[in-house]
Amino acid sequence: MKAKLWGTRGSIPSPGPETIRYGGNTSCVGVTLSDGSLLALDAGTGIRNLGLSLPEEPTRLHILLTHLHLDHIQGLVFFAPCFRPQTEIVIWGPASPEASLRDRIARYISAPLSPVEVRELPCDVSFRHTPETEWEIGPARIRAASVAHRGPTLGYRIDDGEDSLAYIPDHEPALGADLDALEEEWISGFALARDASLLIHDGQYADAEYPDHLGWGHSSLSHALSFARRTGGERTVLFHHDPLHSDEQLDRLGAEARERWAAAGGDPAAIELGVEGAELEARALLPSSAKAP
Amino acid sequence: MPTASQKPLELILARNLMSALSTPAFLVDEGGLLVFYNEAAGMLLGKRFEELGTVGPEEWGALFGPFDRDGEPIPYDELPLVVAVRDDRPAHANFEIRSADGTHHRVEASAFPIQTTHGSRGAIAVFWPAAENGTGG
Repeated sequence: MKAKLWGTRGSIPSPGPETIRYGGNTSCVGVTLSDGSLLALDAGTGIRNLGLSLPEEPTRLHILLTHLHLDHIQGLVFFAPCFRPQTEIVIWGPASPEASLRDRIARYISAPLSPVEVRELPCDVSFRHTPETEWEIGPARIRAASVAHRGPTLGYRIDDGEDSLAYIPDHEPALGADLDALEEEWISGFALARDASLLIHDGQYADAEYPDHLGWGHSSLSHALSFARRTGGERTVLFHHDPLHSDEQLDRLGAEARERWAAAGGDPAAIELGVEGAELEARALLPSSAKAP
Repeated sequence: MPTASQKPLELILARNLMSALSTPAFLVDEGGLLVFYNEAAGMLLGKRFEELGTVGPEEWGALFGPFDRDGEPIPYDELPLVVAVRDDRPAHANFEIRSADGTHHRVEASAFPIQTTHGSRGAIAVFWPAAENGTGG
């Protein structure tokens, strides 16, 4: 299983010379399964380039939305396959007691925010609430679970053979809790991320920034490292970068993450910051030295 | 696929909130099993949750009661928490509980179910010291 990061930024697109290396597009990860089929995780502005990279042949695509904040759906109306009649798109997302997934997304894909309506999209699009139990897409088993963020929000786990990928881009598991002391079953997102080959996780704030953003639904570096250590994955990518963080700031944050990971006994190569355009292997069986400390 | 038990997010968030409260509060899962109570509840009971752990109805009743005004044990399935989980409705009661040192405390308990888009996740109960002429149980 392979993953490509098409958008790594959180909150709002942040193009410019200060963000050119880590990227300014918002959350989107393309996952290529073992049979060659493709899943898109979230539909932030990064999904536009994902769409442009796809051939125009008839195909079926699945988009797994974690939640409906704008930085995770803004790219939908700029996703080229949406405008191809030969394409079938299945959009998965969290249920809400208030309205269906389709109706909630239609609030964005409708006037005056959008030039087209959902019903006008030429593709064959359907909307599905994620089930509580795992389901299959091609060779992969998918599981979704609610995680600590603002509003109904999911994390996903994709198992394809021995490989596994956990995707929890917006997550504040330490809100009101001590992650280092908490029992595993009481940690938000734990079962999704446990022993994953690749964990893509919220790392929005430096520790010094977190107190001013308590309850905003995101992790500090310390929280992300604790979560990665507790869940025991083989490789962690910190994701959903703060829009105010320049490339230089992210370089420093990444260096600090690797130093702290190594100081705790882990392999510094097993933790990194997400870079737009990066292609990652979600492959099991890394050497044990690369496991979480 | 992971096999570890994982508490639903709604229970996790409820526990986190309860941990920050100075009001005694109790949490049961969708099966009615007591899965957490906070420090204030531990002070009332004379036993911290970490000491007691997850307990079922019979053990709970043997340890803490509760008891009605005549000192008779109240069946577990009549407790507000259990009613809230079983019937998906709020419940309120006035009763006595017995702490670990044998002291009896008269309390009022209010419980409400935790409902989600996937159904019931459990219930929360909050205890207050009972008013002298508190509502009947």
